[in-house]
Amino acid sequence: MPEVISLIQAPPDTPLKIVDILGGHGVRRRLMAMGFHKNAIIELDSQAIFRGPVLVKNLTSDTSVALGRGVAQKIMVEIIE
Amino acid sequence: MSKENNYPDVIFIGQPNCGKSTLFNAIAGLKADTSNFPGTSIEHTHSKVNVEGNILNIIDLPGTYSLNPSDPAEKVALVHLFHEKPSLVINVIDASVLGRSLELTLELIELRYPMIIALNMVDLAEKKGVEIDIRKLEKILGVPVIPTIAIRGRGIKELLDAVLRGLEEGLTVSPIEWSRDVEQKIEELINLLPEDFTVVSNKRFTAIHMIEANKLFFDKVLKDINPPLKKALDQVRHDLETMHNAPAYEVISAERHHLALKIFEECSRVLRGKRISFEERVDDVIMHPFFGYIILLAVFCGFFLIIFKVGSPLEGLLLEPLTNLRHSLLQTLGTGVLSYLIDGLLAGIGGGIAIVLPYFLPLIFLMSFLEDVGYLARAGFLMDTFMHKIGLHGKSISPFILGFGCNVPAIISTRTLESRRDRIITSLLIPFIPCSARTTIILALVAFYLGPLWAFGFYVFNILLVALLGRVITLFFKTPSPGLILEIPSLKVPSLKNMVKKTYFQMKSFIKFAWPILIAGSIVLGLLQYLHFDRFINLILSPLVEKGLGLPRDLGVTLVFGFLRKELSLVMMLQALDVSYMDVLTVISKEQIIVFTVFINFFIPCLSTVALLWKEMGKKIALISIGLNTGVAVILSFIARLILGK
Repeated sequence: MPEVISLIQAPPDTPLKIVDILGGHGVRRRLMAMGFHKNAIIELDSQAIFRGPVLVKNLTSDTSVALGRGVAQKIMVEIIE
Repeated sequence: MSKENNYPDVIFIGQPNCGKSTLFNAIAGLKADTSNFPGTSIEHTHSKVNVEGNILNIIDLPGTYSLNPSDPAEKVALVHLFHEKPSLVINVIDASVLGRSLELTLELIELRYPMIIALNMVDLAEKKGVEIDIRKLEKILGVPVIPTIAIRGRGIKELLDAVLRGLEEGLTVSPIEWSRDVEQKIEELINLLPEDFTVVSNKRFTAIHMIEANKLFFDKVLKDINPPLKKALDQVRHDLETMHNAPAYEVISAERHHLALKIFEECSRVLRGKRISFEERVDDVIMHPFFGYIILLAVFCGFFLIIFKVGSPLEGLLLEPLTNLRHSLLQTLGTGVLSYLIDGLLAGIGGGIAIVLPYFLPLIFLMSFLEDVGYLARAGFLMDTFMHKIGLHGKSISPFILGFGCNVPAIISTRTLESRRDRIITSLLIPFIPCSARTTIILALVAFYLGPLWAFGFYVFNILLVALLGRVITLFFKTPSPGLILEIPSLKVPSLKNMVKKTYFQMKSFIKFAWPILIAGSIVLGLLQYLHFDRFINLILSPLVEKGLGLPRDLGVTLVFGFLRKELSLVMMLQALDVSYMDVLTVISKEQIIVFTVFINFFIPCLSTVALLWKEMGKKIALISIGLNTGVAVILSFIARLILGK
């Protein structure tokens, strides 16, 4: 079993699988509506300076979404070998 | 608006960035009777169009990711969709992200309204290497699918033909079945719905949305009006949760998600593997942690430089003949009431043409360019870090930039922010953003008499002030901002036609709204001067104006009227001081110009902004905003006077 980590700790440019989304209704609903479901494959793109937001590529739905660090922390992923 | 006649209502709905508004504008442009709201489609837009002799009421709704709204703009979409049963729904889809877009489509199909899909941006999908089998998609969804490229105007005739055919022949839409166990649970709930229960569109849709509903509000209401049904609903949710080991709303959302992905896989072929396109390389640079900010800074410096370079010469060019006309008219008319009125009228018209247009026009045009290219969202990403420092997040950047054009659409666009907290903070800060009217004053007074560097410094100070105020206002809120979730649309080559159209609509509504007030205000001031009523106002205000700020007493009246519209203060300043634009320095000093500009710039947001704040955010926020702006204006202009030693 690969290790489950928060998206914020994941290495960039590596395919990741979403295993869980933490947090309240509001955030989860919004994330799901934008294509962040369990099992979706995503990739961390670049990181803004001063611990800013992260840019996430959703490879399943082929979209790019900017997430604040607080939000990114709630997305649990595992690295796809 | 739409029910005043019996024309069929055709609603445009789609996810954000799907090109819906572009498509709408392309169609609305065929026969214009459009009432467009400035900014993008935060407010819905109506338009009557004539398609081959058939009048249609077309309605553009704000982009929404799902029918379970999370921000106020999405709620606007739903209210419309549920309350006014449309004759036809056009679901606009970004073909390049078909998989995700289909989730909304499946939700719309559940509504069972007559529907047509406009599969937009098929060229972009092709470029990405995605080939879509349109016939197959049509067959699976049971809905006509028309490929379009709205930005180039392609597919629009076919879409309109399909709309007319659909309206004439009628379209039946039936939902696609989900997993058996989920369907069974939905069926259970449907059977329990009482006969007199308020049903939206059909029972299945209603039952599904009951399961999905945001628990807090809906459940409480249901518990009060129908306790047994509430119990049954809880049972259904509980069953779904135990079966799938996830919250019920997630089970439903996952059903749609999987179905959407399945349909996507069946209908499309990805021809190339992972694309490393030109666009991606560009994105790597413009969103780079270092170069991204350099570019951002350059873009905004260039942005304001262009506006200044275009605006300044144009302004001089337009002002001169008007000033001459006024002088010669005054000489022939003498000093009767008519002369005051006509002079006021000309001053108002002059203000409208020569001061507002040269700056406002290039600003909204460049703004729509940045928006259409997709740079605004990227700016939001880059600015998120800084916005966090003032207690907001990157999404607020777009209302702020819009605020440089006009505060009114900027406040409307705060509807895209999810939390009320962020909306309040952003709305309170927007009136401090120098809108085009105030920029005009800064440029016309500070830049013209003291030099462009002073004006630039004024701007920088203004932006720092907004940041500082943001920090202070945030202290009053205990909850933190909910965090950034912002889609970054793909970069696009903008269409000139679309940009021109957008600019035209904004300009039109601005002129329609602003000029009458501007001209009426000027005439009223002329009349007041004739009656010497302005002396009375000036006398009342003299403690503040003369003693406090060290300005000529005559300027008191301009402060009051600046409230009607900001640029009015400039026109009226000339009128009150009774000098022409070129001779201002003969009457007041450079220091006084700065004090005056500081006061006017930060004083009460203009009448329309206050009215909108009142409507959007409530009386309390509007009053706080007035108090905050007045307080800041008085304090800062007083400090400016002390520093400048006048």
